[in-house]
Amino acid sequence: MSTLRKLNSVFLTPRTDHQLSRWLLFVLALHFGILAAGFFAPYDPADQDRDRPYLPPMRMHFLDAQHHFHARPFFYALRLAPGSFDQYEEDVSAPIPLRFFTAGARYHLLGFIPARRHLFGSGASHPTPNNPPPRLYLLGTDAFGRDLLSRFLFGGQISLLAGLLGAAVTLSLGTLVGLTAGFVGGWRDDMLMRLAELFLALPWLYLLFALRAFLPLSVSPVQAFFLVVVVIGVVGWARPARLVRSIVLSVKERDFVRAARGFGASDFYLLHRHLLPETATVLFTQAAILIPQFVLAEMTLSFLGLGVPEPASSWGNLLAALQQYSVLVSYWWMYIPALLMLPFFVGYLGLASALQHRSRPFKMEAGVSQANSELPVAVSKEVAGA
Amino acid sequence: MRYLLRRASHALFLLFGVSVLTFLFSALTPGNYFDEMRLNPQISQETVAALRAQSQLDHPLPLRYIHWLGGVAHGNLGFSFAYNSPVGPLLRTRACNTLLLAGTATVLAWLIGLPLGIWSASRMNRAPDKLVSAGTATLLVLPDLVLALGLLILAVRTGWFPTGGLTSTNYNGFSTLQKFRDLTAHMTLPVLALTLSALPNIVRHVRAAIADELQSPFLRAAEAHGIPQRKLLYNYAVRAAANPLISLLGFSIGTLLSGSLLVEVIMSWPGLGPLFLESILARDFYVVIAGVLLSMLFLVAGNLFADILLYLADPRIRTAERSQ
Amino acid sequence: MDINPQPLLRVENLSKCYSAQKWHRLQSVFAADAAKNKPKEFTALNNVSLQLRRKSTLALVGQSGSGKSTLALCIACLERPTSGSIFFNQQEVTALPEQQLRQIRPRIQLVFQDPARALNPRWSALDLIAEPLVIQNRLTSKKREAKVLQLLDLVALPRTSVSKPAHQFSGGQRQRLALARALALEPKLLLLDEALSALDCSIQAQIANLLLDLQYQLGLTYLFITHDLAMAAHLADQVAVLACGQIVESGSAQKVLQAPQHEATRALLAATPRFAPNSSAPALVNA
Repeated sequence: MSTLRKLNSVFLTPRTDHQLSRWLLFVLALHFGILAAGFFAPYDPADQDRDRPYLPPMRMHFLDAQHHFHARPFFYALRLAPGSFDQYEEDVSAPIPLRFFTAGARYHLLGFIPARRHLFGSGASHPTPNNPPPRLYLLGTDAFGRDLLSRFLFGGQISLLAGLLGAAVTLSLGTLVGLTAGFVGGWRDDMLMRLAELFLALPWLYLLFALRAFLPLSVSPVQAFFLVVVVIGVVGWARPARLVRSIVLSVKERDFVRAARGFGASDFYLLHRHLLPETATVLFTQAAILIPQFVLAEMTLSFLGLGVPEPASSWGNLLAALQQYSVLVSYWWMYIPALLMLPFFVGYLGLASALQHRSRPFKMEAGVSQANSELPVAVSKEVAGA
Repeated sequence: MRYLLRRASHALFLLFGVSVLTFLFSALTPGNYFDEMRLNPQISQETVAALRAQSQLDHPLPLRYIHWLGGVAHGNLGFSFAYNSPVGPLLRTRACNTLLLAGTATVLAWLIGLPLGIWSASRMNRAPDKLVSAGTATLLVLPDLVLALGLLILAVRTGWFPTGGLTSTNYNGFSTLQKFRDLTAHMTLPVLALTLSALPNIVRHVRAAIADELQSPFLRAAEAHGIPQRKLLYNYAVRAAANPLISLLGFSIGTLLSGSLLVEVIMSWPGLGPLFLESILARDFYVVIAGVLLSMLFLVAGNLFADILLYLADPRIRTAERSQ
Repeated sequence: MDINPQPLLRVENLSKCYSAQKWHRLQSVFAADAAKNKPKEFTALNNVSLQLRRKSTLALVGQSGSGKSTLALCIACLERPTSGSIFFNQQEVTALPEQQLRQIRPRIQLVFQDPARALNPRWSALDLIAEPLVIQNRLTSKKREAKVLQLLDLVALPRTSVSKPAHQFSGGQRQRLALARALALEPKLLLLDEALSALDCSIQAQIANLLLDLQYQLGLTYLFITHDLAMAAHLADQVAVLACGQIVESGSAQKVLQAPQHEATRALLAATPRFAPNSSAPALVNA
C-alpha cells in the first residue's frame, strides 16, 4: 500500500496531472478499440470475397434514389460496371441498411471469450448459407476481397503488441544493464558503456534490417512476430541503459543512500528500495517514446517483407500493397489505413510530452527553478542511431 | 588539440569495433549468396563451387577478416556477388545518389528550421509560436512511411511529379538544362519527404535551446543594459545556444547516408538504401559490410565534425583542456 | 560517575588517500570523455588520532576541506581508510567484513549536514524513521509504528505529522526527522557532520539544546563536527582542531578555545563573530 502511495506522490502532482491523465485516457481508449478488434470489426480479417477484389469504400446515404429520407443510414451494394473489369458502380436496387450491435461472424474477445456481437454490420435478419447477408465495406477491400477496416483493426493488434513487447524487452534489458553498470562500477561499468556506445553508434535502421534479414526469412507468422519483437528489443537497449546508469550514479552518492548503508542495508535493498523507484519516471517517459518507434519499426519491417508475413495482417502488411504502381494509381483507398494510424502516434506524442513535463528532478531546495530545457520528443522519426 | 586527438582515436576504435561485430554477425548467420545460386538450375554446380572457392567463404573467420582488412587498406572493399563487380565503385555511385538527396534535404531543413526555431523562441507562447508548435507536432506525428506514401499518391493522382527513379528513360538525350530540370523533378518528392521529416526535430531543438538561453540571467543583465532585442537574440542567445545546436548539426550530418533508406525504397531512388536492402536479402556479404561501415563512418565523422566545431566555438572546452 | 573509563571510540593513525586507479589512467587514453571523469588524487586524512570518552562531546573543528567529513565517514564505516585503525568499544572495526559490521552499525550513527539530501523527499516521516528498523529487521510493523511515534515525541515533532512526506517539512523539522531516524536503532555514538550548519540561527539554538537534552536522557556520546567555534564552545567538552588532514591541536574546550596554541586554531577563532558581550563565546583575538 505504501508503495502505491509513493507512486501516487511521484505522478499525481497537481500541475501536469490533468494533462497527463487526459492523454493517458486517450491512448488507453484507442488501445481498447484495438484490443476489442473482434467487436469493432464487422468481419474476420481473413475472410476473402473473391468476387469483390479492390472494392472502393462504400458511401453512406440518407436519401435514396427517389429522394426519400431514411433515418437509418444505408449503403448501396457495389457491382461491376458493365464493360469494365475493375470499375464498380452502385446498385441502387440493393440498399444495405446500417445496423448496430448485429450478430455476425464468431470471434474471441481478448482471445478467449467467445462472442458474436459486432458494433455494426448489415444485419440481415435471416442469413442462410445460400443467402449470405450483403457485406458492408466501409474502407473497401484489398486484392483478395478482404475488408480493409477489419484488417486494420486486427493488424493493429499485431503491430501495437509488437511495439509494446519490444519496448518491454528493451527497457528491461536496458534497466538491467544500467543498474549493474551504475551500481557495480569499475571495469565492468566501462566495458558495458563501451558496448553501449558501439550500439548507439550503429545506424539503427540498418542494424534492424541486418539483424532481421540475417535470421531465417521464411518463418510462420507467430515465429516471425516473436523474431521481430526480439530483434527490435535487442537493438535499442543502449539508450535506456545509459539513462538508467546516470540516474544510478547520481543517486548512489546521495546522502539518503549513504544513510541507508549506515543502517546496514544490503545492496539488494538499496537497489530495490532507493534506486529502482528513482528510475521509474525515466522509464515511463522512455516507454512513451519507444513504443511508437517500435510500432513503426515493425511496420517498416512488415512493409518491406521482413516482418509478419501474410496471411496475418499487420499495419505494415496493409501498406505493402502500395508498393505496386498499379495500386497507387487505381486503388488509392488502400492508403486510408495509414491515416487511421495517426491518432495512435498523436496519443503517444502527447503522453511523452506530458511525462517529460513532470519528470523534472524532484529536489527540495528552495532555489532558482531549473530552466525548462525540454528535449523535444522525436516520436515517430526513425532517425538512424537516435 | 589533445582533446580532438582523443575524440578521433575514439572514433577509430568505434569503427574497428563495428567492423568486427558486423563481420562476426554476418558470418555466423545461416545462408550465403551461393546457397541461392545453387538453386538456380541454369548455373552448373561446378561453376557454383568454383565461384564459391574463389570467394574464400570457407576460410576460417579471423583469416577472412584480416584479408578483408588488408583489402580495405588498399581501397579494395571486396566483391559483390550479385552485381558481379567490385564493391567500391558500386557503393560510390549509390552513395553519391543518396548524398544528393539527403544533402539537399538536410540543407533545406536547416535553412528553414533554424530561422523558424529562432523566430518561434522569440515569440514564445504567443500566436506565431503556437502555430509553429502545432505544425511541428503534426509533422512529428507523421511517420516517414506514411508521409512518403502519401506524397507518392499525390504525385500519381495529380501527375505533377514523376513517381520514382532518378531520371527519365530518355535522360541521356537531353540537353544540360533539360537534364537539370529532369533531375530536379525527380528529386522533388523524396527531398520533400526527407525535409518534412527532419524539419520538426530541428525546429524543436532550436526553439528549446534558444528559449533556454533567453531565460538565463546573463541575457537579462544584457537586456537591462539596454541592448536592443534583435541584437540580444542573434548575437547573444544564438551564440550561447550554439552548443546543443552544433551537436544536432553533427547528428544531421551523421545520418546523411542512413536516414533516407525508407524514402529511397518507396520512391525507387537508386541510393544506398535499396542497395543495402537487396544485398541483405541476397546475402551479398561484402556489400552489406561495406554499406554498414560507410554509414557508420558518416555517423562517426558527423560527430567528430561537431566535436571540432564545438572545440573551435566553445572556449570552455579549450580552457578545461588547458587546466589539466 | 562513568562506570567504564575506557574510551568509547579510539582512532589511531588514520589516513585516507584518494588516488587515481590504474584502470582509470589506462582507459583515459581511449575514452573520449576522460576529461570529465578524472578522479582526483589527494590525501584527505594524514595520521589522525583521537579518543572519545563515553557520554561526552568531542567537537572536531576545522575549515572546509580539512577532512572532517572524511573522518566522519571513516568512523561510520562508510569509507575504508587507507591505513590506521578505528576501535569502537575496544573492538577494531576497520577491517571487519560487512556481515559483522552490520551488527555494529546500529551503535554508530551519522547525521548529515543537509537534511534535504539526507532524506528521500517522497517518503513519509513514518517510512523514513522506520527505515533503519526495517533494514535491521527489528520489531513487527505495528511495534515499529509505535516506536516511530515515540521517537517523534523525543525530538519534539507532532505525532500528526507522521504520514506527511518529507518535502512538506521545514528545514529545522527535517533535521529533527533525521535525528529521530538516527536514534531509531538506539546508538551509543552519534556523529553529527555539520548537522546544524544548514539551519537558521534560531533553529540552530533549538536543535543544539535538543541535542544536549537527548545526550542527558539517553547517555549518548557525540562527535560534533563543525566549523562554527561558538557552537563548539556551547556543546563540547573536548575540542580537536583539524587542518589539512591533520590534528593540530586538541584538549578540553576551555583550553583550546581560550588559549589556542596553533595558528590554525587562532585563525578559526579570528573568523568567529562575536555574540552578546557577556556570553561564554570566545572573544575575538584580533580586534
